[in-house]
Amino acid sequence: MSWWEFWKPKHERLEFIRDFLAANEQTIPGIRSIDQLNFTVLDTETTGLDPSRDSILSFGAVKVSELKIQIPTAVEWYPLSENTGGKTAQIHGLVDIPDQISKEEFVRRLLPYLGNSILVGHHLGFDLEMINRQLSDFGLDQLPNAGVDTLSLAIRLEHGPQADQNRIKMGTYSLDALCERYGIDTDDRHTAAGDAFLTAQLFLKLLKVAERKGIINYRDLIKNW
Amino acid sequence: MSNVIVNRVAEFLKRFPPFSFLGDGDLTRVAQSVAVQYLEQGEILFQQGEAARPHFFILKEGIIHLVETSQKGEEIREVCDEGDVFGVLALLGKRPYLLTSKVIENSLIYAIPVAVFEKILEENSRVALFFAAGFAAGQVVVRQDLSQGQKARSELKKASGDHSLLIFSDQSAVNFSEKVLNCPPETSIQSAAKLMAEAQVSSIVICDSQDFPLGILTDKDLRSRVLASEISPKNPVSQVMTSPVITRKKQDGFSNLYLTMIRHRLHHLVLTGDGTDKSPVCGIISDHDVFLSMGNSPAVLIHGLMNTQEVGEMRKIRDRAEQMLCYYLENEVSMEFVASVMTEINDVIIRQALEIAKTELKAEYPEMNSTRFCFLSMGSEGREEQLLRTDLDNAILYEDVAEGLQSKAAEYFLKLGEGVVEVLLACGFDPCPGKIMASNPEWIQPLSVWKNYFSDWILHPSPEALMKVSIFFDFRSVAGSNALAAELSDHIYQEIGKKQIFLNFLAQNAMKNPPPLGFFRDFVVEKSGENRDQFDIKLRAMLPLTDLARLLVLSHQIVGINNTFQRFEKLAELESSNSELYSQAGKAYEILMRMRALEGLQNKNNGRYINPKSLGKLQRQLLKNAFAPISELQEIVNIRFQLDYFRR
Repeated sequence: MSWWEFWKPKHERLEFIRDFLAANEQTIPGIRSIDQLNFTVLDTETTGLDPSRDSILSFGAVKVSELKIQIPTAVEWYPLSENTGGKTAQIHGLVDIPDQISKEEFVRRLLPYLGNSILVGHHLGFDLEMINRQLSDFGLDQLPNAGVDTLSLAIRLEHGPQADQNRIKMGTYSLDALCERYGIDTDDRHTAAGDAFLTAQLFLKLLKVAERKGIINYRDLIKNW
Repeated sequence: MSNVIVNRVAEFLKRFPPFSFLGDGDLTRVAQSVAVQYLEQGEILFQQGEAARPHFFILKEGIIHLVETSQKGEEIREVCDEGDVFGVLALLGKRPYLLTSKVIENSLIYAIPVAVFEKILEENSRVALFFAAGFAAGQVVVRQDLSQGQKARSELKKASGDHSLLIFSDQSAVNFSEKVLNCPPETSIQSAAKLMAEAQVSSIVICDSQDFPLGILTDKDLRSRVLASEISPKNPVSQVMTSPVITRKKQDGFSNLYLTMIRHRLHHLVLTGDGTDKSPVCGIISDHDVFLSMGNSPAVLIHGLMNTQEVGEMRKIRDRAEQMLCYYLENEVSMEFVASVMTEINDVIIRQALEIAKTELKAEYPEMNSTRFCFLSMGSEGREEQLLRTDLDNAILYEDVAEGLQSKAAEYFLKLGEGVVEVLLACGFDPCPGKIMASNPEWIQPLSVWKNYFSDWILHPSPEALMKVSIFFDFRSVAGSNALAAELSDHIYQEIGKKQIFLNFLAQNAMKNPPPLGFFRDFVVEKSGENRDQFDIKLRAMLPLTDLARLLVLSHQIVGINNTFQRFEKLAELESSNSELYSQAGKAYEILMRMRALEGLQNKNNGRYINPKSLGKLQRQLLKNAFAPISELQEIVNIRFQLDYFRR
């Protein structure tokens, strides 16, 4: 399905959105090797788990290119939301949020930042749902970018491509459990950027496992999920 | 703007030098520029010969070997673990990599762009020193000047909050008077004393018309040579002055000046233009000046020792000497100075002990009073490098006596030796486990027997004999007749001259202990690949160097230099083609001595076994760098004495 079907004519497309969409028209050839791909590893902290009611408290991300985590690209944004100060905020310790930005500013920063990179996240679907909801106000229903969920990737690598997710203990695929299994220090979890960094390290390690299993290019990587 | 990710990178970097020397701003800038890379076992980060990348690396986790490939095959040169900085050639010389980096255990690697660091390198002297001193891994391959490492260690340490008084850091801080009270030789004693009283000083220098020093008169001289001897104060001062005067020049540096005072037991040292008494006086340094700048000074301690024959008191003074030692070591006072001072203190204790023992035996053996003998120190004390009260190695050598006196002499000198050893043990020295002490009849012998001992070791170099050689060949006469010791030395060189192959055996012995590669985590990394969690710094690093120095010195027939580091200095002078290596070896030895002594002082033991866990990253690297000259020297000796051929 193309994003065009979801286009709502009543919204005037903003220039930055047009640029973003134009960048994403360029498709990535299936034979492009993984070390030539650009990834954005991201994570969000939200006010709750219901994308229709809750909103993003913080967004953290870092890029991976040439199979290296590029620290200079690390970002951490705190969009203003309708119900800040909720319960999640307490849990995550995001009470005094520095440098909050408006929802629009968030989207204006986010889209050029993502560009046409491949999005990577742990339980990526949830983060994307949260982000997409923010985008809908700007005439965009869904990010067109390709995505890789480290959770699915880990399962696929450990149990094979045909694995039935219902028969797998999901607890062993939480970010914490995977970090422990792959030897990654989880010193300060529960900030979006912190988790994005952990996910990025996990992603690098998973890609090595993938390489051994013959997953070496874009087509191999996004196949099957 | 910093964020959690950058902070996390910064937090890691901050734990390790040189990043630990960065301020918050620079640290953030560096952390912000990092690229994180993950390599698995078997992968290669960069290859020997490959052009240097625009970044250097720090290992976040895992193990990486830096490997050199040559005709001889592959050789591991360094083992990197968490926090090791490597691949810095890009930063320093922009040369191709000299080593290949192989991932041995899955590794997370932080790459830091050279561009970001170049500015810091320019502005932050401590960071620059870190690299200049060769503290990054793989730098040893490009031979480093170890003196930089020594300097760097003290520099880098200052940051750790050591604000203790640094007495030697600024030599001009030790004051001495440039205005010297003087008078012509014909001045009466009384007028000279009046001048001293008016100027409120304790000495006056007697000068000729050109201001050249002729002699010196001190408070003590007035007391003992004038008043006590009932000499008329109307007499000229030249009659009672001490002449000639020992002089030095100001530029000799404080340690040298001070050492002269200690050695000659001077309370006043006259400084002249060119250091001889044939140039004008330009200053005077008194022990009072020195006392003022130092609490626990060697002069005070030696003075104390000279004035007591009470063993309990001697022990207390030796304990105080250890505090002083600790201070010197921590403040990187030159090892030559430290070793000389400690040797002098140990020697004074031995001489005092000998006096005590002699006095006790005097009445019982009147016939032995005139028999010449000398008390020999061997091993580290013989080499003038015993800093801690480690094992005693000593012996007694006496002149050959008439037949009828032989058993009496043996009895007397055994009792004498026992007496000395008892005092030394009471002063806190450890007994020799091999019983090579002046209380063992085997090592209390007349000259003829000693000559036979050495001849036998040289002619029949069994493994046991070679072990003895390593202890006995460094003998030094501490008290008594030096001529006897000199005669024994001559004999040894004659015997070696007759049997050159002895040196090949000695060489083989010096090769027995190759130095380890380095450390990683809590292990000592051996070339053969085995690990141990305690590092025997004496056996694995110091002994090879003392053995090599002794061998080379013997092969050059050098007499009278016992110090391992001074031996290397001498060798550097003699063999210009290897001079750099020799001076590095000397420096390495100084570093090892310092480290061992500090370790011993800290743990209240002999410092021989070092727990790698207790060493910081810098110390490990310094130690690792100190190993490098050992391997190179062993290589040279191997070729020079054709050991490969010899072993067949």
